[in-house]
Amino acid sequence: MTSLKDLRPVHVVGVGMHRYQFASDTPYVTLGLTAVRAALSDAGIAFAEVESAYVGCTGIGLAAGRIMLNHMGSTGLAVTQVENASASGSSAFQMACFEVASGLRDCVLAVGVDKYGDQVRAVNKEGVNRLSDTANIPLIRYALMAEHLKTAKGLTQEDLARVAAKNHTNAATNPFAQFQKPRSVEDILNSTLVAGSTTSLMCTPRGEGGAAAILCSEDAIRRLGIAGDKPIRVLSSVLRSEEPQKGRELPSVTVAQTVAEQAYHEAGITAADLDCVELHDAFAIEEILYTETFGLAPKGEGQHFLRDGGSAIGGRCCVNSSGGLIAQGHPLGPTGIGQIHEITRQLRGTNGDRQQPRARTGMAHMIGLGTIAIAHVLQRE
Amino acid sequence: MDLEKPDLYRLADDDRRLTLRAGRCAACDALIFPLSPYGCTACGAEPSALTEEPMPGRAQLLTFITIHQRLAPGITPPCVVGEARLANGEIHEIMLAGTGDLYTDDMQLEAVATEITRGDTPLIACRFAPVEA
Repeated sequence: MTSLKDLRPVHVVGVGMHRYQFASDTPYVTLGLTAVRAALSDAGIAFAEVESAYVGCTGIGLAAGRIMLNHMGSTGLAVTQVENASASGSSAFQMACFEVASGLRDCVLAVGVDKYGDQVRAVNKEGVNRLSDTANIPLIRYALMAEHLKTAKGLTQEDLARVAAKNHTNAATNPFAQFQKPRSVEDILNSTLVAGSTTSLMCTPRGEGGAAAILCSEDAIRRLGIAGDKPIRVLSSVLRSEEPQKGRELPSVTVAQTVAEQAYHEAGITAADLDCVELHDAFAIEEILYTETFGLAPKGEGQHFLRDGGSAIGGRCCVNSSGGLIAQGHPLGPTGIGQIHEITRQLRGTNGDRQQPRARTGMAHMIGLGTIAIAHVLQRE
Repeated sequence: MDLEKPDLYRLADDDRRLTLRAGRCAACDALIFPLSPYGCTACGAEPSALTEEPMPGRAQLLTFITIHQRLAPGITPPCVVGEARLANGEIHEIMLAGTGDLYTDDMQLEAVATEITRGDTPLIACRFAPVEA
């Protein structure tokens, strides 16, 4: 089977964002184009050079991407809208990677844009009931898992609060984050109790925003004269869906591990090579689980990795330096590309107060309702 | 009184317990729940390969939590949900009767008919409760 690394090298050459925010009157066109223009400016290229665009979007409606990009000038570029739930932006990014890697195009835009939508979910039209009215609410699955791990592995509510406090504090210096306030463990514990041990500040907010990345082949980098410190190579891109649950581990966690292992294999790295990771922390327990399944911490010891500062900026491998979904936010369409924005800046060494020292290799990971897992490994060459 | 989710369960002969509506696959012999109108979720066989098979509403409680906020239209907090192993071995999310102090991990449960209202309409819903001695 061919992997991304066997094809033409693909590089992220420009990234940009519109701040994630609570629902507002800001038009989605403004959210998306702010990110697109920032990414073009970062790459130092004109929109006319972009041959194709993949637009991650869940809540706006039909053809949002085409209508939005029309305001950049009708250049005739190919436009494809991508919906894959929370992983819509990640999937748009993956398709852009594959298009450049295959040789079909040299310069492709991946953009995520979303407003707070009507929350219509296909599962509610499936025509198959479930025993629990909460069966399709991810928060409950993860809150149940957190409860199980309290007895099975000594996890505490304070551990969950530590994840959220770290990520809120990281986001405090991120101008694109929805929350920009440092929070203590006590602040997190004192927020509204939602389910089990999970409080409101341990959960991602919903909102809106935009994020964009421009991908180029090496030919395009030379032809367009893109500065040498900009390109960050995408080494691997992997997506899979879950299989039936075996034992107590959530299928979303199992598939996240499978995807990470394949992403490492295709990139030719191990977990020990990762300097920074942006992962799907819609709920605090997820970060503890995924640091284990990604091999950053031994199984069952994710909370110790956290307590020891392993996932802090400056630690062994910083996790969610952007603030993650919990604090940078999770507007769905943009989220996965917002992760690429953070990783790219980390690997360039331009991430300011949130810079992970000597960062060279990073991974972006998302979960999409259903469940799918997707991961991209990026590296500074 | 009508059942809230008649595709999932039927009232047992004692009018108190519920029997779950599972499906046996002729192609792979799996007992799947819920019975899907679209095919076997274990092997992908056509719907015609599935035959309805009553499954006891027994379950082993694995974990449970109390929900404190109104997260869905059918949820009136505080209420208790859990994860349980059903009679066919599958792990499912379930709704529990009463409050959390009635339950402990690994407890044996049974599906019982519980009256609820949706709007002004009374219905029989499935809630799990400790097995009566």
